[in-house]
Amino acid sequence: MDALVVAQLLNVVYGIAILAVLALGLAIVFGFLGVLNIAHGELVMLGAYSAWVVQSAGLPFPVAVPLALLACGLLGWALEVGLIRPLYARPFDTLLATWGVSLLLRKSAEAVWGLGYKSLTVPVPGSADVFGASYPRYRLLLILACLACVGALAVWFLRSGTGTRIKAMVANSELAQAVGIRTDRLARNTFVAGCALAGLGGVMVAPLTPVHPFMGIDYILESFFVLVVGGLGSLTGLLAGAGIIGGFGSIVSAISDRTAGYTTVLIIAIVFLWLRPRGLLVRP
Amino acid sequence: MQNRSITRRGFVAGATALVAAPAIVRHARGADPFKLGLFYAASGPAALFGPTQKASAELAVEQINKSGGIMGRQIQLFLADAGGPPAESTKTAVRLMLNEKCDAFIGSHDSATREALVATIRARIPYIYTPIYEGGECAPNTYVLADTPDQQVRPSIELLTKEKGVKSVYLIGNDYVWPRKTNDRVKQYLTAGGGKVIGEEYVPLGAPNKFEEAVTRIKGAKPDAVVVTLVGADNVNFNRTFAGFGLDKDILRASMLLEENTLLGIGAENSKQLYNCMSYFSTVPGAAHDEFKAAYKAKFGEKAPQLSIIGVDCYAGVYCAKALVEKAKGTDASALMAASEGLEIRTATGPVTMRNRHPDKPMYLAECEATTFKIIKTFEGVKSGETCKQA
Repeated sequence: MDALVVAQLLNVVYGIAILAVLALGLAIVFGFLGVLNIAHGELVMLGAYSAWVVQSAGLPFPVAVPLALLACGLLGWALEVGLIRPLYARPFDTLLATWGVSLLLRKSAEAVWGLGYKSLTVPVPGSADVFGASYPRYRLLLILACLACVGALAVWFLRSGTGTRIKAMVANSELAQAVGIRTDRLARNTFVAGCALAGLGGVMVAPLTPVHPFMGIDYILESFFVLVVGGLGSLTGLLAGAGIIGGFGSIVSAISDRTAGYTTVLIIAIVFLWLRPRGLLVRP
Repeated sequence: MQNRSITRRGFVAGATALVAAPAIVRHARGADPFKLGLFYAASGPAALFGPTQKASAELAVEQINKSGGIMGRQIQLFLADAGGPPAESTKTAVRLMLNEKCDAFIGSHDSATREALVATIRARIPYIYTPIYEGGECAPNTYVLADTPDQQVRPSIELLTKEKGVKSVYLIGNDYVWPRKTNDRVKQYLTAGGGKVIGEEYVPLGAPNKFEEAVTRIKGAKPDAVVVTLVGADNVNFNRTFAGFGLDKDILRASMLLEENTLLGIGAENSKQLYNCMSYFSTVPGAAHDEFKAAYKAKFGEKAPQLSIIGVDCYAGVYCAKALVEKAKGTDASALMAASEGLEIRTATGPVTMRNRHPDKPMYLAECEATTFKIIKTFEGVKSGETCKQA
């Protein structure tokens, strides 16, 4: 029984970690730029397909990472230039605009790869022993990768000049421009980074889920819940949101069943939207 | 009197026309197309099967039309999308019945849509329902070719209990009518075989489901086998997670709706010790099936949509319409229902016989081998277990 508790705890940690990485791109784009990118799920889907393409071509799995970053980054750049630029800080307008993009991306994926489920082989198969419980190696690797990714981004954001410039841009765009910060370039790069990170999330989950054109819909929903609960504009908010949504969802699913777990997630999201719509950790 | 009177010539012409009229009219009606409405998954969650459904139906229509059609009438296929909410399908059904005056409907979609369509059609025209379902449809002028739990469950469970020595079983399925009804049958045959259910859980249909927690729970319960009534992406996800956690080495799995597309998604490494029993797999042997596959490939070429039970069922649906109408010599509802008893219907794998408006059919028990199905046992003439009274 002990090993089982350890395994379920690992499931909780995994659930939180993977949710944090998947919501990261959306958090950056929504939190810093005020853009509600509903095509975020489709960018995750594109990242997953990149991994499939790489594996089908017989290349080693890690090649999928730069491919997904490049593909989603380029797509993000095209979106920003063509669609998003006039719509910063207008969440509902960007919602509509990116809704169209998400439909287009889904249908394009269907046209290229068909509706069938694509299957990837797990790059690191087998299980490892963790405190007496046997847990899949790939998921353990993902937990570490997620922590590293979010951690690295946090450190970079707090320490680097660009991070400070982004904070300035978010706090007061006009003043930032007056000081000489190229906010247009900064915003574009931030958007591209958000899209690229979505692709990275897609590569990570690709070996674990069925890859098909409609897989993105699941991720946008959960990412949105994370942001609603955690609050926008800070990495701690993202972690808090992922912790609450991922954590409660996983714990209740482990104790009771998936229906209760998902109901809990929905109730939490509803309560936050109703009573504390700006989330837990609100940017001052 | 002269300009208004009926001339003898006029009278003879009129009389001839009157006598000849029925013959002319009958000939014209004989040339009327037989309008067949096909409700299939052109969009929505089951859109994966749409291309196969459409292709199989078109193949059947082409074959029948080449050999003279239904009672001399060429079949005209009307395609209707049943992938949206049932209300949309009923609107299309009304339009097809009133505007196009369709003679029959074939439906390959979920039960919610079926129930809505049955209520809309109200036995005015014959309605043939084809994919796997939970049993119990006895509406008048409705003919069900679908696999029933009685047909599917018994061979699978008996394999587990009798041959594999399974004593304890864990049930997991999506939360709607088909898995629950199927699990009722599972429990029945399991108890009869000396086994017992040690866990039962349902996950919501259409929600983004992850299965790490459920799989860990199953690991703790240590059943001999798991009976899976999940569908679609959930089925793929569960089986991948199950094997990912290494449970496939010690625990058998029997899935109730596992077809070629789902198996491709599950992947070769995750399909060990996975069994299924359905009335169609693309690897079913036999001359009739080879003939079907050759015709399918000849018509659609190398890029033909993947053969799967949800798709190929439409082929039998079209032939069912033909068999019913030809035996009843028309489309009168009571004549059709009377004709359906003992009716032989051509399917992709050979003929089946209809009783109580459900066919007795051969069922195939398959074990997954990488991404194909290996047929390990065939059961002939398995009864549907349905007891619909003749109206």
